Amino acid sequence: MTVRLVDRVGRPLLGCVVFAAAVGIWEAVARSEGSFLLPTASAVAERAWHVWPTPEFLSNVEASLRRLAAGYAIGAWIGVAVGVAMGSSRWMRQALEPLVELLRATPAIALVPALIVILGAGDRMRITVIAFGVVFPVLVNSMDGVRAISPELHETASLLRMGRAERILRIDLPAALPSIFAGLRIAVSIGLVMVVISELVGGGDGLGHYLLVEQSEYDIPEMYAGILFLGLLGLALNGVFVLVERRALSWHRGTTGHGER
Amino acid sequence: MTELGTGTLASEIGATVGSYAQGLTIAVIVGVVAGVLIGSFRVLLVASAVLIEFLRPIPVVSLIPLAVLFFGFGAPMRRWIVAYAALWPILLNALYGARGVDLVLHDVARTSGVGAVGRLVRVTLPASLPSIATGVRIGASIGLLVAVTAEFVSGTDGVGAYMQRQGNAFKLPELYAAVVLVGIFGYTVNRALRAAERRLVFWAGEERLAER
Repeated sequence: MTVRLVDRVGRPLLGCVVFAAAVGIWEAVARSEGSFLLPTASAVAERAWHVWPTPEFLSNVEASLRRLAAGYAIGAWIGVAVGVAMGSSRWMRQALEPLVELLRATPAIALVPALIVILGAGDRMRITVIAFGVVFPVLVNSMDGVRAISPELHETASLLRMGRAERILRIDLPAALPSIFAGLRIAVSIGLVMVVISELVGGGDGLGHYLLVEQSEYDIPEMYAGILFLGLLGLALNGVFVLVERRALSWHRGTTGHGER
Repeated sequence: MTELGTGTLASEIGATVGSYAQGLTIAVIVGVVAGVLIGSFRVLLVASAVLIEFLRPIPVVSLIPLAVLFFGFGAPMRRWIVAYAALWPILLNALYGARGVDLVLHDVARTSGVGAVGRLVRVTLPASLPSIATGVRIGASIGLLVAVTAEFVSGTDGVGAYMQRQGNAFKLPELYAAVVLVGIFGYTVNRALRAAERRLVFWAGEERLAER
């Protein structure tokens, strides 16, 4: 009992102690170096405390989140649709795989200059870049999820004389859901990276743009505050996603476990 | 494609590939060593958990402006940013791989008189190799993305800087040539890593073969 208590309290405590020590080392090094490139941890925290609540900063956050939501939604829909189609049809897979592999290997930033020419430097370009980054992890995971479905399920489906559309909707999609969710989750952090990438070019607003402005003004503590915020945002988005996933997959487990019909 | 022949694009690609390879090498060494150690010793895992969870979600590209201030616009900046970007998937996959090692393997090695260090090198490392290989593949594609992004945003050389210049000058054929070239390069790296993986972790390939 006492061992368990020590374990339960001690473990997170040790992690926090190490974290605090790392911050302490940062503070000490920054103080002794006195370099303007490395502000002290306390200076960054103090600046973050003042900058984060300002309307200007919050409007940048809002712009970034809006783009992330739009790009993520588009990319996720396309990824699931094409991925499931490629997973359930051999013909589709053979037709599309080379194209997908080539596009997937192309770094999204490589598309930015072309997209600027085609779509302009505004939100349409940014949302397209984000969607492009989101599509592939979702697509590949959806495809692999459908391909991993046991043949018995498909044999049962054909015994029940299910059509292709019905099979995809009632068997492929639900059975591949855990894998699809894994892809969607990876796509959240990739999406955040894409948001910053798309905002580093072409001016405007958003957190990526904010970082560039602070860099060009040599306001280093504010830049660190922006990076810190992006890290916390990533952490929070991932947390939200884990909650959603637990909900969605518990429903999934419920229906496959008990069988409604 | 004449650009490739005349050497402008070829030398830019060379600059990119050079720092990309260096960064990736650093990431593989640090990531595998740290990941296997953290995955093998509970104390290390518990101690580093909060720090890792805090550092990992920071989007790497947001560090590019900072890296420029520290290292300037050239190859060293690119090298470190690639190393940092590729480090996380490699480290985490090595960590999970090392944690998932069959304990029986360890017991067998221990009763055969293999010491702690020997077990780490001869049991844990090979057993986590399939997982490490996956991490290296993911890290390699993220690293390429970040390398080209860094060049594009604030580079003086490299294929990303080349694309930036061509885009600004509205020289679209040159621009598209560079885009396609980067795509082909990424595809080739991925293919090569897959081939190496199949050869190196041949024992884990049985299910993959069965799939075909």
